[in-house]
Amino acid sequence: MVDPLQSPEEVEGRTERRRFVLEETGFDEVPKRYRKFYRKWRGPGDQLGPNEAICPVCKVVIRSSRELWPGDRLYCMPCMSRLVVVESADGTLEARVSY
Amino acid sequence: MADTIDAYSIQNWLESCPQSYLMDTEYGHGPEEKEPDFILDNEVVLEETIKATVQLVVGERCALSASSGLINAAPDEASRRFLATQTLDEARHVEVFTHRLYDLGVKKQDLEGTIQRYANPNLVKFAEILLEKVDRKDFVSGVVGQNIVLEGMAFSVFEMMHAMNEPVNAKFAHTLSGTIADERRHVGFGENRIGSLIQQHPEKRPEVEQMQKEMSYFMLATFADAFRNNQTANELEAAGIERPHSEYQGVDLGTMEPEEMEQVLADTVLKEFKTRLGRIGIEYQTPARP
Repeated sequence: MVDPLQSPEEVEGRTERRRFVLEETGFDEVPKRYRKFYRKWRGPGDQLGPNEAICPVCKVVIRSSRELWPGDRLYCMPCMSRLVVVESADGTLEARVSY
Repeated sequence: MADTIDAYSIQNWLESCPQSYLMDTEYGHGPEEKEPDFILDNEVVLEETIKATVQLVVGERCALSASSGLINAAPDEASRRFLATQTLDEARHVEVFTHRLYDLGVKKQDLEGTIQRYANPNLVKFAEILLEKVDRKDFVSGVVGQNIVLEGMAFSVFEMMHAMNEPVNAKFAHTLSGTIADERRHVGFGENRIGSLIQQHPEKRPEVEQMQKEMSYFMLATFADAFRNNQTANELEAAGIERPHSEYQGVDLGTMEPEEMEQVLADTVLKEFKTRLGRIGIEYQTPARP
């Protein structure tokens, strides 16, 4: 299992996750086989895709080959943090650290 | 996917660092990359660049002493191995920034004298607070001081320096991007390891919070000295060299006065401290402003 989406959560009323084909983004801070799952964050104007979340610890964008849903568990390899996806007040998804 | 313990392994470090972003580098940058002429040919800019690089060497020497000193204070084997890799990272940072001083014309026999002449006394006090905790083998305080306060500061400082250097100095930007990648692991270890340890040692909180307040004050004093007395912007303007319009935290660094840049950096670092410490259950203490 190389995808950072470690434990997909079931969400009531949602049936199928969208799939994404990931390509290399030039991120080279993890071993080769994991690189396409991460990219550098380009700052406040950087729009995240439905399969992406920013790691709050190291500010790298984590990318899954599947759409992210609230409750999903992610792993950030560049800083070795375990994260949980939550829906924020404005309806966007964000990742929170799970110690 | 490796679990948390495997993540702290030497194997993970080998594949992520020397076999990845450090591949084919020499002292952290490409073999052909050089310091630009606008630094080497201008006495004032050169001296300011040496002065700034000395602060990086001083900070990294502190980080090297702290991470190596914490190995034998660590309560578990995985943390000891991680700190061993961090010790090598910090030693590499000391080496690459020292080598930059040589590239800027500092002679080997003048290295220690140059560091003594330019080392900011506030940065030295910042380091002393941390190293006193390490000397007492206080693992919780030591890791918060090293991997959250010092590394959190370094992370933001390097990000800002990287933004400023990327358009005009590919060599130093390359060196910084490698150190930023290292810092990601270090802050990750700090938050994740202390996040669980502080729950087991709630009695440590007041001491850790006081340390953060003191270290933050000396950090701000170091920033104040570094920006308020810096002649680089004036000198570049006098020489007709336009500063690059680098973006950092949503602002254009190419149009800002040094004092404004100091404010942006200080606010960014303090906000990060507050967020990171809050996540692990430590109450951020607002430092006095120098």
